Amino acid sequence: MSRKPSATQSIGRFAAAVVGAPETVPPGLGAWNGGSVERRFGVYRNNVREGLIGALASRFPVTEKLVGRAFFSALAEAFLLSHPPRSPVLMEWGDALPAFIETFEPAATVPYLADVARLEAARSHAYHAADAAPVQPETLAALDSERLALVRLVSHPALAILRSPYPVLTIWERNTGDSEPAPLELGGGEDMLVTRPQMRVELRPLPPGAARFFEALEEGQSIGWAAEAAHAETPLFDLTLAFTLMIQSGAFSAVAEET
Amino acid sequence: MKNKHIATLALAGSLASALAAVSATSAMAEDSKEKCYGIALKGQNDCAAGAGTTCAGTSKMDYQKNVFKLVPAGTCETIKTPEGHGSLTQGPAPV
Repeated sequence: MSRKPSATQSIGRFAAAVVGAPETVPPGLGAWNGGSVERRFGVYRNNVREGLIGALASRFPVTEKLVGRAFFSALAEAFLLSHPPRSPVLMEWGDALPAFIETFEPAATVPYLADVARLEAARSHAYHAADAAPVQPETLAALDSERLALVRLVSHPALAILRSPYPVLTIWERNTGDSEPAPLELGGGEDMLVTRPQMRVELRPLPPGAARFFEALEEGQSIGWAAEAAHAETPLFDLTLAFTLMIQSGAFSAVAEET
Repeated sequence: MKNKHIATLALAGSLASALAAVSATSAMAEDSKEKCYGIALKGQNDCAAGAGTTCAGTSKMDYQKNVFKLVPAGTCETIKTPEGHGSLTQGPAPV
């Protein structure tokens, strides 16, 4: 008689079969009434899969709308096979979807799809990020102008900066809500800022260079360094506009303590 | 930094203009400051109970076999790529 697998082994095999290739049945499974084990397990597996695919579609509604339900379901199914959930927190499942889309051959004709998914992932992350009050204008106004270039800022937990070679924010906006998607020329790229200053996730298109400015600040560089980096990227960078967006969006929560 | 003095002036001036612009418009929304219940995003409540949790999905398994025949059939057709519309021509619907 072969050794009986431990409970952990049994559960591991069961879980692997649930998210594994179709028609996989965990070893040692029996149907209480002697029916088809494959069929009975298939019902269980589909229940789990449909739930997960539905959860993914809820997190990436515009991605789904762009390619249609059938395509998205197949995409989600393939994603589930290679990236099964690792956490019981379902909202985290799908963080790897944008990168997966880039490798998903049938999606190659929709080159902007991965970046749309990136925007949707950033939105749900911002939505669930820790609460924090944005840095107040008075705090910035009180900064010593002589030392302003050396000041560093603390990113708000919800902050995300996205840069795409495609007009992803426009695509997203055209495909949200009940509005009919209008024809769109896939021209230049767009940079965008995701923040959640209070309870609502906000999206803002970023003017030239501003993404570089915010990225540098997010990395912990000083305001002076960030401004130089943005200027170096494009002479079109408008520092006043970038500061205005910074204050309005609540991208940063505090002025960093000097070290 | 190449020209520290000018850079410092420019930074301070820009920040001052930005602060003035923001306080003039006072875009800081007061309405959204309280915790609001009932605005949870669909499907973000860690429980996907409801649609999809029935046993009805058994036939969906078939997609795995024709996955490389899949053609995006959503609103992506309204978006033209710089290479023209060729790359998004509608093929046969997935069977």
